[in-house]
Amino acid sequence: MEQKGKDLALSRRAFLKTGGAACAMFLVAGSLPSLVKPAFGAPKEESITDVLRRQFGGKQVSQSHVDIKAPIIAENGAVVPITIVSDLPMRSDDYVKRINVYAEGNAEPFVAGIDLTPANGKAEFALRIKMRKTANVRVVLETSKGKLYGAARSVKVTIGGCGG
Amino acid sequence: MSRFSRAFVLLACAGVLTAGAWKYSFAGEEAAPRIKEYTPNISSQEYEKRYNAVYGKSTEKMAEEGNPADFMLDDGKDLFGKAEGSAGKSCASCHGANGEKLKGVAATFPKYDPAINGINTVALQINRCRQEHMGAAPLKYETYDQLALELYVKSLSNGVPIKVSIDGPAKPFYEAGKAYYYKRHGQFNFSCAICHVKYAGHMMRANLLSSNRHHADHWPAYRLDWGAAGSFQKRFRGCNKNVRQEVLPFQCETYRDLELYLTYQANGLPIQVPGFKM
Amino acid sequence: MPAVGRIKIRMPHTISRGQVVPVDVLVTHPMETGLRKTKDGKVIPAYFINGVDIFYGGDRITHCDWTIAVSANPFMTFYLKADKAAPLRIVYKDNKGGVYQETVQINPR
Repeated sequence: MEQKGKDLALSRRAFLKTGGAACAMFLVAGSLPSLVKPAFGAPKEESITDVLRRQFGGKQVSQSHVDIKAPIIAENGAVVPITIVSDLPMRSDDYVKRINVYAEGNAEPFVAGIDLTPANGKAEFALRIKMRKTANVRVVLETSKGKLYGAARSVKVTIGGCGG
Repeated sequence: MSRFSRAFVLLACAGVLTAGAWKYSFAGEEAAPRIKEYTPNISSQEYEKRYNAVYGKSTEKMAEEGNPADFMLDDGKDLFGKAEGSAGKSCASCHGANGEKLKGVAATFPKYDPAINGINTVALQINRCRQEHMGAAPLKYETYDQLALELYVKSLSNGVPIKVSIDGPAKPFYEAGKAYYYKRHGQFNFSCAICHVKYAGHMMRANLLSSNRHHADHWPAYRLDWGAAGSFQKRFRGCNKNVRQEVLPFQCETYRDLELYLTYQANGLPIQVPGFKM
Repeated sequence: MPAVGRIKIRMPHTISRGQVVPVDVLVTHPMETGLRKTKDGKVIPAYFINGVDIFYGGDRITHCDWTIAVSANPFMTFYLKADKAAPLRIVYKDNKGGVYQETVQINPR
């Protein structure tokens, strides 16, 4: 799975962060141990697999019937326009009940949940989201019959650059 | 050759060189700054192609869907009709309730104004009007009200092709703006022209360098990076910061000359405000 | 200052009965994450829209749960099956108790 490879590779950001924290500890630990603590007080990050397991209990997600439209390169991670399109029916007896949107690189991957009804007529929704770093945007659709459909798309987020 | 004669030849050479250098620097001071102009590496069609390949139409689509600066435009309209200052007048008292008399006027800005012996911009003109005709305090640059008013005044010329004149007295200011554009600045030693003329359309890491043809036609604009609307000159400051150069104050002479230079590059393009940029 | 909670709704001018139409909605809101700091090191408190309700006539047709990861000045497009003449009401609620709403009348032909 693509997911596994991503976890193994230490990204530049993660390297700097862990490396920086280690350096800080090395310098400060001897004389002022109390100061080290706040550096580790950041909120605990939850991985996307944990989130999906918590929300759907390890249920199988079928990777079909859903498409995500998103830019390949987002120059600004604070505003990434995404459109979720699905060809699943929106009849009163069988419809898309909820769209869950995740940005895998974020500290809290869950971005938004949208409850739809047959009155929407079409399982499509567009939104602009914030992404902390280059990562997958993942979508999981729940239907009224309890089935799960999903899709993922990678978005490159450039940091720094020519914004000024 | 003896040692003595060798030394003499060397000395003579050095003498000629110093004299030459002195002469060169003297001539440089006298004449107008010589600018080695660049030609873009790629054609404008190729630039469009590359832009679409990298960013697609996502920004254009977002702009069409909803520009947060549209709310600012509404506020600007209210400010236009609001009476302020000792004369008890509003902008609308002179320029018509819906700014009828200002239609297409912003397309000729920035332009030379003998009263200030320099280049006049829309933002500066608004503040001069406030002081001279309304008796009101000038608006601080880049504040919400100032931008809203500037945006509204410019929006009255929406769709009108930019027609900036650089003839006659405006010429030296245009040349000054151009000289600034081609001069290398800051710790990184970049000139504006390096990125936006010579290498426009090439990638600088993950950024596509933009062509200066389309720089001036959409300000004030909402920029995603700022999360707010800002003026053209705020963008100058952003570029200045990127090359590690000290920023200049808003509406200073240099920035006004630069605005003239860049607006002239966009001559013929219709004004489209509020813009929506990455 | 830009006001918080100004809403702009954009949709097709003419709608035929039963047509599925896109509705674009833009609202001004800072969507502060609570993770940013000011220059003097103080944390800016979180301030964001966490719930959106869309009513068509008497029914709630869509509900959104949002987090801090939705962009500032949130924009969304949803679809609506215009099968009756009724008001469309969009209600935003933020985590500080602010409620912002806007209504448009839908008159399909």
